[in-house]
Amino acid sequence: MNIRCAKMWMHSMWEYFLLQPEDLMNMQHCNLLCLPENYQMKYYFYHGLSWPQLSYVAEDEKGTIVGYVLAKMEEDSDDSDPHGHITSLAVKRSHRRLGLAQKLMDQTARAMVECFNAKYVSLHVRKSNRAALNLYTNTLNFSISEIEPKYYADGEDAYAMRRDLVSFAIQSSITPADKTTFFSVKGSEDKKKREEERRDYD
Amino acid sequence: MYIFQKCYEHKQYKNGLKFAKQILSNPKFHEHGETLVMKGLILNCLGRKEEAYEHVKRGLRNDLQSHVCWHVYGLLQRSDKNYDEAITCYKNALKRDRDNIQILRDLSLLQIQMRDLEGYRCSVLEAKGELFLALGRTSDAAKIYRELLQRNPENRSYYGALEKALQPSTVDERLRIYQEIREKFPKAILPQRIPLDFLSGKQFEQAVDAYLQVSLTKGVPPLFVDLKPLFKDKEKVQAIERLVMGYCDSLKQTGKFHDTEDSPVQPASSLLWVYYFLAQLFDYLSQSTKALHYIDAAIEHTPTLIELFVVKGKIYKHARDLTSAYKCLEEAQGLDTADRYVNSKCAKYMLRAGLIKEAEEICSKFTREGVPAMENLNEMQCMWFQNECAQAYRKLAKYGEALKKCHEIDRVLLQILPSCFNIGGLVKECYISFGQHFSEILEDQFDFHTYCLRKLTLRSYVGLLRLEDVLRSHEFYFRAARCAIEVYLHLHDHPLTEENGIDRIDLVVYKRAFA
Repeated sequence: MNIRCAKMWMHSMWEYFLLQPEDLMNMQHCNLLCLPENYQMKYYFYHGLSWPQLSYVAEDEKGTIVGYVLAKMEEDSDDSDPHGHITSLAVKRSHRRLGLAQKLMDQTARAMVECFNAKYVSLHVRKSNRAALNLYTNTLNFSISEIEPKYYADGEDAYAMRRDLVSFAIQSSITPADKTTFFSVKGSEDKKKREEERRDYD
Repeated sequence: MYIFQKCYEHKQYKNGLKFAKQILSNPKFHEHGETLVMKGLILNCLGRKEEAYEHVKRGLRNDLQSHVCWHVYGLLQRSDKNYDEAITCYKNALKRDRDNIQILRDLSLLQIQMRDLEGYRCSVLEAKGELFLALGRTSDAAKIYRELLQRNPENRSYYGALEKALQPSTVDERLRIYQEIREKFPKAILPQRIPLDFLSGKQFEQAVDAYLQVSLTKGVPPLFVDLKPLFKDKEKVQAIERLVMGYCDSLKQTGKFHDTEDSPVQPASSLLWVYYFLAQLFDYLSQSTKALHYIDAAIEHTPTLIELFVVKGKIYKHARDLTSAYKCLEEAQGLDTADRYVNSKCAKYMLRAGLIKEAEEICSKFTREGVPAMENLNEMQCMWFQNECAQAYRKLAKYGEALKKCHEIDRVLLQILPSCFNIGGLVKECYISFGQHFSEILEDQFDFHTYCLRKLTLRSYVGLLRLEDVLRSHEFYFRAARCAIEVYLHLHDHPLTEENGIDRIDLVVYKRAFA
């Protein structure tokens, strides 16, 4: 198995190999096989074109995608802290127990911190999806932040979950895009901001 | 402000200063921040640097919330080549006025100037590594690839590149590279797995023995598919077969993988995973009877494990018994109705057995309620299903339906192919209402042209353009095209008549195609 950043187009600096796999299309295929929430190709392209650093794939030796994480940054929220969001995560049942989900999620979380200064990452999970809930809580360090009633098209509630990325960044010695704002604590933030500006200015 | 900007841009510095004086002489605006900084900016252009700084600093102090003040302070810093400070100022200005194009433009210029490519750390490292390798600066390259492996020890291409950089001359040296990384990342799979590719003989046997034991104890279902690429090498298949058969005997007698002192006693599940592995191995070697024997032994051991029924179905499929195959998958699906992967596999096997209605029904468990499953699958561009469906119809000699499915994948198949075969014009409106996914994906491009330029994600934009140029090289398109071509050829060779009992829809399509 191989884990790498999802690409719109496979290339090395020197040659463009023609007829190479199109990660996003194969991601859609993997999604349709594994999950009930599906999206049209355009939505995958939207992710790939807006946040090209954030989506990752796991492939087997033939280059078939066996797992993926499709992710984005949440931009429209009132919350001043920048944060990422997992749109979709799947690992084929035939490729479970290799720890792929965790490895994919950690790569994405790292990119969110390094490229966008994300302080946490959020996701939604069906209330009835025990297996996924278990994975997010026990393996991936997510915790439930709230319940969103009737989130899914079929009327099922969702748990909104979050994973703190500040502690993750410290643990894994990841350098955020902007250290000062990343490590500042909310509440005292305004004061710090002012101090920082004074410093810049003097 | 506008007046100042005009004066500044048109280099009417004297006028600018005059306006500033007018405003600042009004006691109400004596300390007006934005006016002060603009005055400073103009003074700077006139070469009166010290005065300029004094004004800008004073202006900024009086109005820290103004994006204009921060922007101007940034411009001043830039003119003195203090690029880092300038970047900080621009960023502060942007915090106040997020979408200010002028500031964004100034900032991006500076970031490029400073090679401040933070947003692309990983790809910058990858590009650097490639460049160092190409230049033959191998120790620099090795350093980069070690750093990349630190970030992601499961990326196969990094190992290949690291080997290129370190140029190990013997197998042992090569192995040492992996052992070293393995010590650092004991949880990573690749540093354990890759050496199996290049080791041989006794060394291979020892390594694969350890690798197999760990996975079989843990119960890793993909163990077989993980090792499958090794089977191109006859010696390796034999070694693996010998080892796992040995585990099987030994587990039954002693509960251990090897009948030795230091071999630990295994949990009961280890034997199950050994059976599971052997079933797949003999299936691969086209020994279906043996494969079935081991999968049945596994099912007897643990009757509720879904994976076992999936493999049993696969064995039947490879033995061309499509009915028994789909029945196994049906059983697997029944064991966990909430798992779409098993559901999808079940539908696929049903289609292979020609059971189209049944497949649609199975799929409908995961499609939107109130909409026919076929419609929803088409809306979601579920091409694997449509391709399998088209094949199923073709085999059932329902040519009209088969073509309809192919055309859902791409309308080009409907427009171009009939003329290729010189069989008259096929009427477009026939299926124009269906998905036509590939054409749709190409059309989707349109919205992204302006979007990417706005977002400035140019690298991925170029990637999108290149992808769309060869979009129809995708396997799904090939399969649909192939199926359509087969149908058209067949119809060309065997013209249909009303008497030879075809269904109505076929006849309609046919008449239009061959009219």
